[in-house]
Amino acid sequence: MVRLNLVLLVAIVLSALYLVHNQYESRRLFTELDRAQNEARKIELESDRLEVEKRAQATPSRVESLARTQMQMRPATPAITQYVTYAGDKAGGSP
Amino acid sequence: MSRSVRYTSSPLLASKTPVWRSKFVVAAVALGFMGLAARAAYIQVIGNAFFQRQGEVRFARTLELPAYRGRILDRNGLILASSVPVPSLWAIPDDVDRDPAKRRELARLLDMPLVELNKKLDSEDKSFVWVKRQIDESVARRVAELGIKGLYQRKEYRRQYPEGEAAAHVVGFTNVEDQGQEGIELAFNKALGGKPGSRRVIKDRLGQVVEDIGETLPPIDGQDLQLSIDSKVQFFAYQKLRESVLANKARAGSAVVLDAQSGEVLALANYPSFEPGLRQHLSGEQLRNRALTDTFEPGSTMKPITVGMALEAGRITPQTLIDTNPGYYTITGSTIHDVSNHGLLTVEGVIQKSSNIGASKIAFRMSPHEMWDTFTALGFGQKPQLAFPGVVSGRLRPYKSWRPIEQATMSYGYGLSASLFQMAHSYTAFAHDGEYIEATLLKSDAPAAGVRVFSSQTAAQVRKMLQMAASPGGTGPKAMTVGYSVGGKSGTAHKQEGRGYAANKYRAWFTGIAPVDKPRIIVAVMVDEPSAGRYFGGDVAAPVFSEVVQQTLRLMGVQPDLSVKPQVVAQRVEESV
Repeated sequence: MVRLNLVLLVAIVLSALYLVHNQYESRRLFTELDRAQNEARKIELESDRLEVEKRAQATPSRVESLARTQMQMRPATPAITQYVTYAGDKAGGSP
Repeated sequence: MSRSVRYTSSPLLASKTPVWRSKFVVAAVALGFMGLAARAAYIQVIGNAFFQRQGEVRFARTLELPAYRGRILDRNGLILASSVPVPSLWAIPDDVDRDPAKRRELARLLDMPLVELNKKLDSEDKSFVWVKRQIDESVARRVAELGIKGLYQRKEYRRQYPEGEAAAHVVGFTNVEDQGQEGIELAFNKALGGKPGSRRVIKDRLGQVVEDIGETLPPIDGQDLQLSIDSKVQFFAYQKLRESVLANKARAGSAVVLDAQSGEVLALANYPSFEPGLRQHLSGEQLRNRALTDTFEPGSTMKPITVGMALEAGRITPQTLIDTNPGYYTITGSTIHDVSNHGLLTVEGVIQKSSNIGASKIAFRMSPHEMWDTFTALGFGQKPQLAFPGVVSGRLRPYKSWRPIEQATMSYGYGLSASLFQMAHSYTAFAHDGEYIEATLLKSDAPAAGVRVFSSQTAAQVRKMLQMAASPGGTGPKAMTVGYSVGGKSGTAHKQEGRGYAANKYRAWFTGIAPVDKPRIIVAVMVDEPSAGRYFGGDVAAPVFSEVVQQTLRLMGVQPDLSVKPQVVAQRVEESV
């Protein structure tokens, strides 16, 4: 009887220690996961920011002024456009 | 050690002690245990909730999960507004460093007067103050390098508007709390805003999250909103409008571009405008979305509508002769004038020459009731069904109170008022084969729902007149473009001032459609008080119309319907170029 009790005591102590260990491990992993999720969100936001910045660099006003000043381009008019029509395009007809 | 004591025969044991002593000790110990049991019962059963709560206060935290405000996109998916996280600076006044050198440096970095900064940091009764919200990333980094105690940073969302002032009036802006204040940002604030979520967590001593407790409420991000605006068309309209307003020394101007097929608003530009990101020195002049919120007397741009309704009612044909001799016309004591005596004109000629007398005489072939019905059907005096803040209805008085002179002046656009948007919108009836179609600021794939106002024959006849008016011999030849047929009507309206009309203040209008046979777009332009010599709609507004039409149709990939003398010299270009 005493021996059985001792075995049970050892078992419960081991089980308790294991529980503590598991709890610790789960919290550690959770912290890691949480940090990774934060990182993911941060990167996502950064990508959004960069996308907006890219867009800001490509606004019509900027493209227009660069095309005009740096590349000496001018807007196309029908007079300097060659219209190409598809064979099946009914509305077609070059000027 | 020499003497050993025999305890069994200790004299102490020999003495008799009273029985109550041992009972007293037993009772005291029992009482102690009972006390412990009672306390345990109190903590774990009776006061349980209180202690649980107190515990939680010390390690559990509720984190707010901010919802991402939806983006505003143009019809091609280009970003018009998007939220970007930026640092904000806050402080706990009690903890902040008092070092004056550091404070001076901080004030310099934040571009803020030192006095103001000190006032914020020295407010005694607060445990939290915003020092400066939404600062630049680079500034934030340098502030962090200063290492001032008690000064913290957190991320907040700030709206970015890549398109800047070109689309400022349509898109609007949000305040520092990320709430819409103007434009689409305000009109669709709820849909864009989303709903923040929350989660409850246990944090350890280092402030790291170690466990989720309870249920996590995920944030609901705001929806992206796709507008019907085409940012390229918008930019062109804004650019041309600005050039015209500046060149003509005008006070302001507006331009509207509508898709004649779908009723979508492709562009809605106003000048003066503002940079949505920098709103410190904003005036009401800049903020006003004139195209939607200001109403004016539209002047001669109204004449095609008068003619349209008379044609529809069968009172005239395009060739009916109208006598406009001798250049003035007296109705119940009031006299109306033409710019010059045009003599005998056909109805087409009335539009082409923009004769006020002709329009009045055509109006008198109809009853006020008939005119009112058509005006109303075309949206005059009605609030446009447009989800936009501050949209106005303009003024159209009930027909029963019209005097004859008013019926005459309304036929050429005085005595009633409309916004530029309403004017452009009413022309959908000509452009969409007689149907007045719903306009929308949101991209729509469904075909436009229309209400028939004119027969398609009437619409075609009016379009032909509009084309004549925008040709040499008409009032707006400057509206012509290379390669595309255009039709449109200029208007030059005297500005109302006080009780009468100002002698030399005008509004120049031009409203038209292109291409004439298969209209794709409607463009309306209004320039307020041009004062550089020219003030006629055909001189000031028509060139803007022409350039906007030219660029818009090119961007839409519409093939020219007029023959153009090509300026391209076919030449062999070397392959390597």
